Amino acid sequence: MLRYIRLYAHFVRFSFSRAMEFRLDFFFRIAMDCLFYAVQLAFFGILYRHTSLLGGWNLDQAWVFVAGIFVADALQMTIFANNLWWLPIFVNRGDLDYYLVRPVSSLFFLGTRDFAANSFVNLLMALGVLCWALFRYPGSLGFVGLVLYALLTIVGMLLLFAVHMYFLIPVFWLQSSRGLDEIYWSIHVLSERPDRIFHGWVRRVLVSILPLALIISFPTRVVLGEGSAWTIVHMVGVTFVAWSLLFVFWNRGVRSYSSASS
Amino acid sequence: MSPRLFLHVLSVETRKLMSYRVEFWLNTAVGFLAQFGAIYFLWKAMFAESEHSIIGGYSFDEMLLYYVSAILLTKLVRGRERESALSQEIYEGSYTRYIIYPTSFFRYKYAQHLGALAPASVQVMVFGAAAAVAIGPRTLETISMTSVAMTMVIVAIANLLHFVMKAPVEGVAFWADNVWSLDVMLRFIIGILGGAMLPLDLYPTWAQELLVWLPFQYITYFPVRVLVGEVGGIDFAIGVAIALFWTAVFAGVVRIVWKRGDLQYTGVGI
Repeated sequence: MLRYIRLYAHFVRFSFSRAMEFRLDFFFRIAMDCLFYAVQLAFFGILYRHTSLLGGWNLDQAWVFVAGIFVADALQMTIFANNLWWLPIFVNRGDLDYYLVRPVSSLFFLGTRDFAANSFVNLLMALGVLCWALFRYPGSLGFVGLVLYALLTIVGMLLLFAVHMYFLIPVFWLQSSRGLDEIYWSIHVLSERPDRIFHGWVRRVLVSILPLALIISFPTRVVLGEGSAWTIVHMVGVTFVAWSLLFVFWNRGVRSYSSASS
Repeated sequence: MSPRLFLHVLSVETRKLMSYRVEFWLNTAVGFLAQFGAIYFLWKAMFAESEHSIIGGYSFDEMLLYYVSAILLTKLVRGRERESALSQEIYEGSYTRYIIYPTSFFRYKYAQHLGALAPASVQVMVFGAAAAVAIGPRTLETISMTSVAMTMVIVAIANLLHFVMKAPVEGVAFWADNVWSLDVMLRFIIGILGGAMLPLDLYPTWAQELLVWLPFQYITYFPVRVLVGEVGGIDFAIGVAIALFWTAVFAGVVRIVWKRGDLQYTGVGI
């Protein structure tokens, strides 16, 4: 475990040095995420001009949810996004060998190698927006709720990584250049809507088989005091199953990898 | 560039795109369903929880029609937007070959862009027909042959406008190491100010009045309003004039950026 922590510290150090070599891009990406935040705030702000409740949440509660979207996005962009972008390219070019022969888990190496330093700056901003949303919230937020929120946000990130990987792993068998990544990005928006707007079998799918709707909504519910122990068990359980399946898919994918570029 | 060469480039691009047919249709079908699903449930909840039957002048069915039209028409306006297609030529050094081609780089690229549009048009018809059945024929009563013809005109202009809006952003590649984030920023701006994320009727009045004079709403919101028959003759002419004005402005910006960029270009790639 200590070896992995040391290795990750090296990844972070290299990533910061690399980011400072391309300074213009560094600032462009920060500006891009700031604009993303502004657009999301405007989107929900405009919606709430026409309703007082959405998915059972009023505007104050919705800001906590929106801040959760920012934190989840920033975490995803900082830790995983670059790595997931490169994965199908490595498979197609036959460059995966380098990562498979390292004496560490290939999934860990490929999933975390590239830490996005520029998005880390945005993570700080996203956390700032979250603090603003939580401080202005008129209801009471217990300490336990806040701790559980932080933990469930991390669980949500792991879940999002697993779901995204499901759409990339098919690249081992498909002839396409990016696996099913485009489909993932089409459905990603479902994670950025309150889970309670979905009903019937769609909702059941979105909180279990394709669990996008619980990634941000469930931690928000817990911090707002609307969650129960079952909410936590549900989210952790789904994440556990998702990661178990991820290991199975990953190992199968790697086994079918022939190294020659396709 | 001769019309024959233009059509040849267009057809090559279409065939190239259709070589991954399963991926192409799968991406589009799932993308459309996911977008439609997110919109359907969001607005179902909005109408139910606000207890209004009309929001921003739209009933629930009209709102669905707006979004379906917006999704499909935006597809025709943006084509199969391959991010950084122009900037990639600069980064890889392959822009060099266009300098010695006996034709304009932008006309060549626009022909490729239109080539990617042909399969998108088929998809628009297929998904449009499916959505029409799903939403119900009564909602479609406002769409007439005239409004469809007017929509084709404004979509053609919007397509060119979008292309020339994107080109200067791509041209930043002459100076910067990566323009992907600028592309995404442009998409965010067009999404929120152009009416793809929300109908502009929901915005505060001052914002609506301002957006009329900016180019963004002519990418999505205006073509949708034309399609559903809400824009009459004079308003249509004014809208077309504003869209053409911005197309000319951005074409001028493209000219300046690429003229300066050409002086900067080394042709070695990265």
